[in-house]
Amino acid sequence: MLETVVQAVINGLLIGGIYALVSIGVTLIFGVVKIVNFAQGEFVMIGMYISFFLATQFGIDPIASLFVTMPALFVIGVLVQHFLIRRVLGPNDMPQIFLTFALSLLLLNLALMLFTANYRTVHTSYSDAAIHVSGLYIPVAKLIAFVVAMVLSGLLWVFLHTTDLGKAMRAAAQNRDVATLMGINPNRVFCVAVGIALALAGAAGSLLMPFYSAYPFVGQVFVLMAFVAVVLGTLGNVVGALIASLMMGIAESLGIQYVGADSGQIVVFAMLLLTLAFKPNGLGGGRVR
Amino acid sequence: MKKDHRQSVLGNQGDTNPMLSRRPSRRKFLLKATGAVAAGAFGAVPLRGWAADLVNIGALYPTTGSMAQIGVGCVAAAKLAVEMVNEAGGIKSLGGAKLNLIISDVQSDTTVTRTETDRLISGNKLSAIHGCFASALTLIASEVAERAKVPLITGSSSDQLNKGRTYTFTPFARASQFAQAQLQMSKLVSDKPKVAVIFENTAFGTSTSNGLKELAPAEGVEIVMFEPYSAGFTDASPLINKVKSSGANALFSVSYLNDLILIVRTVKQVGLDIAINGGSGGFVIPDFYKNVGKLAEGLQGVAHWNHDMDADAQKVNAEYQKRTGYFLFEYAGGLVAQTFMIADALERAASTDPQKVRQALSTLDVSSGYAAMAPGGKVKFGPDGKNVYGRPIGVQWQHGDLASVFPKEDARAPLLKT
Repeated sequence: MLETVVQAVINGLLIGGIYALVSIGVTLIFGVVKIVNFAQGEFVMIGMYISFFLATQFGIDPIASLFVTMPALFVIGVLVQHFLIRRVLGPNDMPQIFLTFALSLLLLNLALMLFTANYRTVHTSYSDAAIHVSGLYIPVAKLIAFVVAMVLSGLLWVFLHTTDLGKAMRAAAQNRDVATLMGINPNRVFCVAVGIALALAGAAGSLLMPFYSAYPFVGQVFVLMAFVAVVLGTLGNVVGALIASLMMGIAESLGIQYVGADSGQIVVFAMLLLTLAFKPNGLGGGRVR
Repeated sequence: MKKDHRQSVLGNQGDTNPMLSRRPSRRKFLLKATGAVAAGAFGAVPLRGWAADLVNIGALYPTTGSMAQIGVGCVAAAKLAVEMVNEAGGIKSLGGAKLNLIISDVQSDTTVTRTETDRLISGNKLSAIHGCFASALTLIASEVAERAKVPLITGSSSDQLNKGRTYTFTPFARASQFAQAQLQMSKLVSDKPKVAVIFENTAFGTSTSNGLKELAPAEGVEIVMFEPYSAGFTDASPLINKVKSSGANALFSVSYLNDLILIVRTVKQVGLDIAINGGSGGFVIPDFYKNVGKLAEGLQGVAHWNHDMDADAQKVNAEYQKRTGYFLFEYAGGLVAQTFMIADALERAASTDPQKVRQALSTLDVSSGYAAMAPGGKVKFGPDGKNVYGRPIGVQWQHGDLASVFPKEDARAPLLKT
């Protein structure tokens, strides 16, 4: 009995790490640039395809391909910010919503055209391995993904709190006008923020590849959970998104175990609604960190 | 593939595209464009009507969209089958007339299937049609074909195709028979099968699993877990955790490929000793093994056709494998047999008139040759268009290949106990 609960919590925690990478990206872009990136899931998909092709064409391990996907997605992020998002930043929200939504549809359909709807998987030596400890098991690929996700989140926190650029980013998130008055170049900060957010999506893609299939719609699966985590953890709050993602992973896993296998998302969304009913600004209480 | 792509991109850059350069070429461009449009318009005309010594057979398959992988394999098999009929001398009663395959892409979409079937029938004088692989698409194509009074022969398994239809023929096992075969197979693994049924909560998953649940008591199989899940989950661990607590010794998973891969991997990681039966569809195609790899070894499934059934099937499989690199999978193999059933009907009808072909199909009765390539080796249609001898075949992944293991009279390899 206890074993089953612990196992369910482990399962939830591990997948929560992946949700965290996606949701931190969304919340970072929202916090700094004040724009909701509906295309975040599609960038996870791009990360997965890059890892897949590196693995099948050059035999590079998906985890090692982090060093390709993250810089590649960072550059894409900078370009997206500079050439697309920058043009629509203004008092009107509508063009921004349609821009990222259109980007999402474009990338998704482009992937369908280029890669077809087939599932593509990569086999690594650790894909099917698991560590067994006193009746419990921990899948190796997911453990690696979780640990790397936590390390990346930690590095981001350090970056945001110790470097000038990081502080400038937080300043822009707190009050864009004042930050501009203090001599912070908003476009430069925004470019880096979007770049980092997309690099995290790319990292999520690489980390997923050893145990999940790549296909054009894969981003949609993860981005829904990411949006819930972002709202639950207070929009724009990086630490909040991280904690909310882990909580959601656990809630989903326990929901499947004890409510029903098609009820995982019911539990997650019930949790979201309850939280919003009592804390309308999310668990972070409206503070942007 | 990647290399080709790069080369073609470089090639385009090297060319000076006349359409992009300025003034002098505008007239040239207009001339060319008009020419192209005209060619398209008139070029389409000769396709219409009856060619003197050709018998038009329509083929409706999804060669683009989400079902494209299987659709493309079907088209390859359909072409191979037509070549085989033509090389053997065509339809002798029609003076050696050759079969002419007219392929139409239904794009994995129900709306497109309706318009494409309509277009195919009204634009060409067809003697018969085969298609569409996915039951959801076939049901629509069959409706259109019924109205136009053109016979349609299909390997789709939906029992719905045998209701209120006179131009639709189904030479292979029906969905309801698959469930029964799956339950019987669980008894191969254990004398007291305790089955966990997990299924995605869609129309396909729900109807298939309900079929299993209804038939289980009569087959003496105990179902210890019956659980729907949301398709496209991110993690199968909680679900498998639950299967483990249920104490089942056999697992029936009614799932699409992606979920099934996660389920199989997780079962392995948990170290759960359980016989998995993945059913049919995406589970019995070469792509499944390509994605799951060695983990697929020993997994069981059900199919309406398998390439090791008899000498004829093996011969066609060898040729198909030479052309495509993959073994002849269930649907494509059945499709070769269907083409020969149409040829047999044409031979006896001695006419290309679709109504006469329908008449001849309804009296089809074969027990040898490529047209009889079906489990049991006999095809004869009842009044509902169902093959009265139709039955499914139990299969198992063995050494990267799909082997027939059930029932005894169809088994070509012993069942591997995992």
